[in-house]
Amino acid sequence: MALEGEAAGIAAIGAGLAVGLTGIGAGMGEKDVGAAAVGAMTEDRSIFGTAMIFMVIPETIVIFGLVIAIIILFAL
Amino acid sequence: MSLPESMSRVVVVGTKTRLEEAIEAFYSVKVLHVIDHTAGADGMSIGTPLHTNLKASERLLKVRAMEKELGIGKNTETEKVSATEIRSQISAGGVESIEAEVLKVLDVKNDLNRRITELNAKKKSLELLTALPVDLELYSGYKSLAVIAGTVESDPSDALRALADSESFVSFKKKKGGVAAVFVRAEDREKAASILSEHGFAEIAVPEGKGSVPDALAEADKGLADLSAKLGSVEKEVEALQIKHKTFLRASDEELSIEIEKGEVPLRIATGGHSYIMDAWVPTKKAQAVMAELESRLGNDVHIEVEETRGRNLHEEEEAEERFKKVPTKNNNGLIAKEYEHATSLVAVPKYQEIDPSVLIMFFLPLFFGFMIGDCGYAIPFIILGAYGLKVTHHKDWRAIATVLFFGGIWSFVFGFFFFGEALGMHFVGEWAPPLHMTWEGLLGMQMPDWFTGLLVNGHGVSKLEGDDVVMLLKLAVYIGIIHIMIGYVCGFLNIRRQHNNKHAFFEKGGWIIEFIGMVVFCYAMTQVLFSKAPMEGIVLYLLLVGLAMLVIGLAVNFKTEGAKAVIELPGVIGMILSYARLAAIGMSKAGMAMAFNYIVFIMFMGITKDVGGDIIWPGPIMLILTLLFLAFLHLVVWTLGILSGGLHALRLQFVELMTKFFVGGGTKYEPLKVKRIKTFLTKTEADKEV
Repeated sequence: MALEGEAAGIAAIGAGLAVGLTGIGAGMGEKDVGAAAVGAMTEDRSIFGTAMIFMVIPETIVIFGLVIAIIILFAL
Repeated sequence: MSLPESMSRVVVVGTKTRLEEAIEAFYSVKVLHVIDHTAGADGMSIGTPLHTNLKASERLLKVRAMEKELGIGKNTETEKVSATEIRSQISAGGVESIEAEVLKVLDVKNDLNRRITELNAKKKSLELLTALPVDLELYSGYKSLAVIAGTVESDPSDALRALADSESFVSFKKKKGGVAAVFVRAEDREKAASILSEHGFAEIAVPEGKGSVPDALAEADKGLADLSAKLGSVEKEVEALQIKHKTFLRASDEELSIEIEKGEVPLRIATGGHSYIMDAWVPTKKAQAVMAELESRLGNDVHIEVEETRGRNLHEEEEAEERFKKVPTKNNNGLIAKEYEHATSLVAVPKYQEIDPSVLIMFFLPLFFGFMIGDCGYAIPFIILGAYGLKVTHHKDWRAIATVLFFGGIWSFVFGFFFFGEALGMHFVGEWAPPLHMTWEGLLGMQMPDWFTGLLVNGHGVSKLEGDDVVMLLKLAVYIGIIHIMIGYVCGFLNIRRQHNNKHAFFEKGGWIIEFIGMVVFCYAMTQVLFSKAPMEGIVLYLLLVGLAMLVIGLAVNFKTEGAKAVIELPGVIGMILSYARLAAIGMSKAGMAMAFNYIVFIMFMGITKDVGGDIIWPGPIMLILTLLFLAFLHLVVWTLGILSGGLHALRLQFVELMTKFFVGGGTKYEPLKVKRIKTFLTKTEADKEV
């Protein structure tokens, strides 16, 4: 990490927040989609693929958080 | 790129007298996908099932009923039987004679079961009545007296005293509840019942009989034991019947099902007074062979013509008659890509006119999986498990998983060895400096030879957990993503071009391609300015402008086709590209976990330290074995998580990022007339008849 002292600590907290908060966000999103997807799948097994596509859409948010965290930790 | 196989539509016309023989011939060529006839067309009507079907379905019903009663199911192990033999057994009345035999035993069994149930009910009533000092014969046989007996929830003794000319017996325990029997004048019955009902009364049927209740109870117990013994021996008989007849029942089930399926073919084709007409799709390359085969079998009694060979352009579909519009999709893949068809079908069956994504999945799914795992130590069990799975399983779900594990394992080994240079989360080469630098060289106290280090990237492999390497991995993941998405767009362009024309393809997919490239170039220039602190001049500036220009052009094209939606979807392009960061992220999380586990075992448990000479001090043998077992368990956790996260994320990148760019789906599956025999087989002469 190129940052020193207090700045480094604050940057680390920032990175943690970026991953943690996006994780919570993605979790909240997937909770609803997942419950509905499982419900729909019990009716019709063949929609697994479509259900999974919807299921993983909110997941991308946490990847954004991770990218930000990595940029903070390693690239700044 | 692989398109589904080209199909031709044929029409088969023949004389009705030889329909039965014709159906056998249709099944034997194994490629005819029948187009269901809709009533009313051509003045022909839908046919009726073959006359043999009635008897066959009756027999099948009997066979299924017996299978259910005898507990014979799909997974019951039975021998294979020759189809000819089973056919002759069935026509000789095999099903009926076995049914008589089975029914005889089952009747006895059911009768015993019924009697046991009755006796159990009687026993239950008797058990309740034992609490009262009244003999059984006293409960019945009166003219002017009414007897009410049953259970109560609270003690009714006091309330019952109010009844004139009555005798009541109550046995009550606070926790268990109680039993009451009341003898009253027949006209007071209602009164007594209403008193009792306030105490949670539930009437019981008093069994008929004589003598004291405990005696009757003992007799009932004896009877039950008797019946149970009889039931046991009957059940043994049933078991014997199951063993004796299971092979016949499974085989005749299959044979009769096949016969019925064949007999129902006339329901799907058109028949008139003396002839039948069947429309069907066949793969173009087999059309001539099928025609020749059917003609050689049925001679002058059949006429076959190829009506059309369907192209991929959608206007051909639009011009076709309603029931000929949709062409069934027969995947056209090689040996390996075939295993990935199941993955595609999880989303949808490809349309006849579009590229089958299975080939792309075959290449990218294991590649991504391997990149995310990227560790020799985990790769080898993956390869072994995958190879074993491919050898033993036939179920398509398991085969798909085994295929991914096998090829993913190979990629994982390639990446793990040459690119990352690590096994079980530890690099091969480097100094021992925990926690970040734990290496095999350091652990084993040896020096890897030069030729070995020469094989690795940078001479020691890429670290998943350290500064510059992580940034490099992230960039690499994004570049892989750009290529992957680009392939998706190009496939989309090719699809539309094939289905319509170049102009259509340009407006539907070309705009996206331009916009995507523009976005990539623009973002590249921006990162140069923001992160690498490059001055905004020269090449960077030009790239920025070119990117922006392409972005605007692409957006304009898309706006024309899709309207405001195109603008809304613009940020999604960045999202899509960044989504590939998971390729690096999952690898990092695996490496992080492995490092933590290695640290726990080697440093915290084994207490590995180095003496002055730099040699490692190992713990005693027992401690060593225990800790190594613990280490194996911990790595098993990482490995299992690897299957889940690596597999699912790799699949997701195919389904969401790649396939949404070109894949529409919604095709009909190609289901030709053919039978699958599992419990029966054809003799050689019969099989020779089928081409």
